[in-house]
Amino acid sequence: MTESTVTEPLVVEETETRRGYAGQSVPRKEDHRLLQGEGVFVDDVKRHNMGFVHFVRSPYAHAKIRSVDVSKALEHPGVVGTLTGEEAALLTDPFFQISSPPGAHLRDFCLAVGKARFAGEPVAAVVATTRETARDAAELVEVDYEPLPAVTDARRALDDDAPVLHDDAGTNLTWEGVYEWGDLDAAFAEADRVVKISELHFHRFNSTPLECNGALVEYNRGTGQWTIITNNQFPGFAAIMMGPAMRVGLDKLRFVTQDIGGGFGNKITSHPQLVACCLLARKLRRPVQWTEWRTDFHLSMSHGNERWFEDTEVAVKDDGTLLGFRTTALDDAGAWLRYEPLGGVIWAQVTPGMYRWRNIRLDFKQVVTNKAPCSPNRGYSRMQHLWFTERVIDIVAHELGLDPVEVRKRNYIRTEEMPYETPNGCVYDSGDYAKMLDTALELIGYDELESRRVDADARGRLLGVGIGSTLDSGTNNFGQSRLINPELQFSGNNEVAMVKLDIFGEIVVTLGTTPQGQSHETTAAQVVADMLGCSIDDVNVRAGHDSYWNSHAGFSGTYASQFAVTGLGAVRGATELLAAEMKKLASVVLGCSPDDIELAEGQARMKANPEAALPFMALGAIINANNAGLPEDLDVTLNCRYVYRPPFQPPDVERKFGNLTLTYAAQVHAVLVEVDPETGVYEIVDYAAVDDCGVRINPQIVEGQVMGATAQAIGAATHETFTYDEDGNLLTPNFYDYHVPHALDMPPLRTGNIESPSPFTSMGTKGMGEGGGAGIHAVCAALQDALRSRGNPIVYDSCNPYHRVWELLSDPESSRQRVTVEPG
Amino acid sequence: MLLSEVGYARPETLEQALEILVENPGARALAGGQTLINVMKARAASPDVLVDLGGIPELKGIELGSDGTLEIGPMTTYAEVISSAEARARPILGEVCAQIADVQVRNRGTVGGNICASDPTNNLPPLLAALGAELTVAGMGGARKVSAGEFFLGVYMTAVGPGELLTKISIPPGRADGFASVPIGVDGTCIVNAAASLNGGARIALGCVGAVPVVVEPESTEVEAVRGAVREAGLEPPSDVHASADYRRHLAEVIAARAVRQASERAR
Amino acid sequence: MGAPVVISQTVRVEVDGTTFERAVEARRLLVHFLRDDLDLTGTHIGCDTGNCGACSVIVDGKLLKSCMLLAVQADGSSIETVDGLADDGQLNTVQQAFADHHGLQCGYCTPGMLMSATALLRETSSPSDEEIARAIQGNICRCTGYWNIFKAIKAASGQEVAE
Repeated sequence: MTESTVTEPLVVEETETRRGYAGQSVPRKEDHRLLQGEGVFVDDVKRHNMGFVHFVRSPYAHAKIRSVDVSKALEHPGVVGTLTGEEAALLTDPFFQISSPPGAHLRDFCLAVGKARFAGEPVAAVVATTRETARDAAELVEVDYEPLPAVTDARRALDDDAPVLHDDAGTNLTWEGVYEWGDLDAAFAEADRVVKISELHFHRFNSTPLECNGALVEYNRGTGQWTIITNNQFPGFAAIMMGPAMRVGLDKLRFVTQDIGGGFGNKITSHPQLVACCLLARKLRRPVQWTEWRTDFHLSMSHGNERWFEDTEVAVKDDGTLLGFRTTALDDAGAWLRYEPLGGVIWAQVTPGMYRWRNIRLDFKQVVTNKAPCSPNRGYSRMQHLWFTERVIDIVAHELGLDPVEVRKRNYIRTEEMPYETPNGCVYDSGDYAKMLDTALELIGYDELESRRVDADARGRLLGVGIGSTLDSGTNNFGQSRLINPELQFSGNNEVAMVKLDIFGEIVVTLGTTPQGQSHETTAAQVVADMLGCSIDDVNVRAGHDSYWNSHAGFSGTYASQFAVTGLGAVRGATELLAAEMKKLASVVLGCSPDDIELAEGQARMKANPEAALPFMALGAIINANNAGLPEDLDVTLNCRYVYRPPFQPPDVERKFGNLTLTYAAQVHAVLVEVDPETGVYEIVDYAAVDDCGVRINPQIVEGQVMGATAQAIGAATHETFTYDEDGNLLTPNFYDYHVPHALDMPPLRTGNIESPSPFTSMGTKGMGEGGGAGIHAVCAALQDALRSRGNPIVYDSCNPYHRVWELLSDPESSRQRVTVEPG
Repeated sequence: MLLSEVGYARPETLEQALEILVENPGARALAGGQTLINVMKARAASPDVLVDLGGIPELKGIELGSDGTLEIGPMTTYAEVISSAEARARPILGEVCAQIADVQVRNRGTVGGNICASDPTNNLPPLLAALGAELTVAGMGGARKVSAGEFFLGVYMTAVGPGELLTKISIPPGRADGFASVPIGVDGTCIVNAAASLNGGARIALGCVGAVPVVVEPESTEVEAVRGAVREAGLEPPSDVHASADYRRHLAEVIAARAVRQASERAR
Repeated sequence: MGAPVVISQTVRVEVDGTTFERAVEARRLLVHFLRDDLDLTGTHIGCDTGNCGACSVIVDGKLLKSCMLLAVQADGSSIETVDGLADDGQLNTVQQAFADHHGLQCGYCTPGMLMSATALLRETSSPSDEEIARAIQGNICRCTGYWNIFKAIKAASGQEVAE
């Protein structure tokens, strides 16, 4: 079920109109090398004499570090050097903190200094000539720890007797903010009922990309230049963090990436390890290689925000109209603020979710705990908030005896209201949520559910259907960081691309992005080929990212659902410049005006007389090698660089008001589950996912993203969780205990799509890729529906492994106690 | 991810293997490696020497005796059990092996390795306990037979002592067998599993609920009798991230009954 | 006379038609031997517990995870990796099917997936949907959700695929 927009015809022949590449599922340029195992991932790169680094990690969740003795490790044959926290504290300054006080006072170095604050925190580094030697020698590093009590539950982090992680902050409450818009009092006065939910919990997990973080760092002593071959997906951010800490200019940090084995946000905050590698490369006079093993990654890297929603109150009319809500969001950031507390504002991109309520108050409190530091995970901070709004809708519908489909439709923002300004000034560009919901319901066979329920019943199973709707806000306005800390000097966004026409007519594109599977080479080539009227095979997009290309800006990278807007916006801008130059040059050569020239079939030719044509090669040759006799004022280089800048204003910090993201893709998922009431084991038996990301440059690639996000949602909803014991030990430190979906776990999937072009982007595209959270919302709703007949338990947690379902089955009353309905 | 330094030997006969084990107290037998190598990657155990049993012909093969007894060499892989014509004499063997992990693991993992690991979540220990298997353990001084009930001594501990090797797994004839489990994801690690055998009396072996399989012999195959017998066993299962002790106790009852039902269906 | 116990030994392997001989420590995993000693980096590492399958190769005709085999155990073996699939840059049927059906995004799990698919199609020329899923049950992918990979393998077997 696809509604596609008609793409602009490129070439109007006499009898037919040829469609352009945009909108077609052209084969990927990346595949040829990846299918032959010829991708270059960071661990594939070797350098002569490179040393392998192994990080010694704290076994304790919280401990004073009394001493670190590396002497025995240094004596081990094959060891070339070490680095300790003490050295790091001398050689570097603490990482810049985004937070205002008290979070601003955290002193974060590349290795633990004085104290370890989570189990798995790197305390020292050993470098050796082989991987195994480094690992062996790490056991010889003697660290004298004095264990301290640990706090692992965010709800306990502010107790009087809770251990404080950072003396410099003096509290575990590192950031808080109050957001309030509309008129809560009026909303609650007008309400027929108030639904109160004491506590909901969004769990800790992440996307576990198959390739973990890594780097190979070289240091050029003569120039002071580091070359950091890595898979960090946001080099702009890494540079801003690393440069000041290392007391060097950003240009001394050259980031090179090529193929990255998945990112999903979990490759943004590797900068502490990169700094350690940089220091070691300089100290040891050799390249230093770091491979993060799976267990290292689970223990220490980029957990998704864990968030508690406490004391929620929802003002609602009897007919299901939602008037507003208030809640306290308690966010568990883990031990360090590495990208946090941006999560404290990023949720506000989608404050009302997909719904029209105007009166909202959210008290956001972020605490540190003795667990791995959180940083972005696919759906970053919006997913947590949207799960909350979806749970609220579902619970309200449930408790008021209303149909969750009807409640959604009654409250969805309507397509005719788009662009829609939310209570806090964000502008949803376009969308038709009701239509998406109808599509999802049709795909799941909603009208035939009764017979499926009867059939399931005959097999002793409880059938449940659930809906999850979600927004994928893309292209951030980094000005929202000022809502976290008014002192910050960030705002807007940018991305860069360069497009040039070389001497032999090659078209070369360089991007500023760091794709990890999102097919940038292909989609960029589609756009460029359309605009220049040539074959996509003639457009060569360089793989990966390299600071030396000078094709990047402060925010360059691939994160936050933006490539189709920022990356392609930059590509489009650069190509427009190039096209104009090509036409100008051609007009000089052919003796006409640039408006008389068209670019088609790999040529610049006169519209009125297509025989008068210059192949691209001719243009490239003239400028590069044969330019005598050209007019002096001819401003043509055929090497064009463009910086895309989205139209943002700095937000109003006082009112916490303003547009925080440019585009709003959406997804609506519908899920059928069958629960075995004897065991709590359940199966997802059918799945429908509908997405809308505006104009799709490559539908197959978009669909691939939807599928992947859906699979991750299924994993997160069912089994994936970073669970800690009371002492702060991670109980799921690898793929043995942290179960991700495998092939046999996948339900049948039906997909649908609608295209609501964005009025705010040059091609009507919207960034996408993070909408899979809808699956978590949908599975929760489906379970709640399935268990209706067993005491009506309330699904209160985003992760529902079998043991939790059994708990809901065997003691529905406990979960029900979280919800009360009072008269308004 | 990176192993400690280790010595490696690849004997060609059982004698040679036993000799190395006797000469090197820190040596361990390497069967399919699908468990031991992961243990070594994590450095949870770092043997001094690995004795690779992969080159010893007498440890492989499946024979079906005229009395219906199956003699299985411990180095038989799960895949070999699944594809073996002889093993079809006791179909539950292949069915349970087919539920272990994935193709790659089944191509290397061995029956002997599975039971000698004595991991409480493994499928084969409770299966063999329910089937009344007999294990042959050999040392330099000779071989002895150990019943399944006496073979599993604890977590990662079996009756195979220092300087000894498991050399044969003998399965008596029968067909009324069942197996049920609650894995985490399809063919994943089990939270609870149970094997049932109804060849003369009902015998159920529960896995994942104790250090070793817990054998229960209910009076009848009726659901309530089975569940009652499991309750009476007074299980003290572990609590972990996947399940609480209470949940495992509950699942044990349900899964035992399902294993028995499957066995009953095959008894007809 | 017992067999010798060695800490390291010379290993001779044939990989995708080329013979290599190297001294290697007994403790070195086959996957590290391939990647680090032989510079064959097409085979990948995604976990440390033998769960993810990114390291899958075919050794003496059997599909296995090279992270759970020591290099010394592969002495004398014939190993097939992703490098041996294409013919001088010409993608083979399975590889082309993955390209046609968008069966890869980041490409990190892909070499292992291709080997598992290759092993399946050698054994079963027209696999059912369930057989296909079972064949790659030991290969984790985080990008695609597997659905397009199922299609790719089905198409590679010559069967019709619903679009």
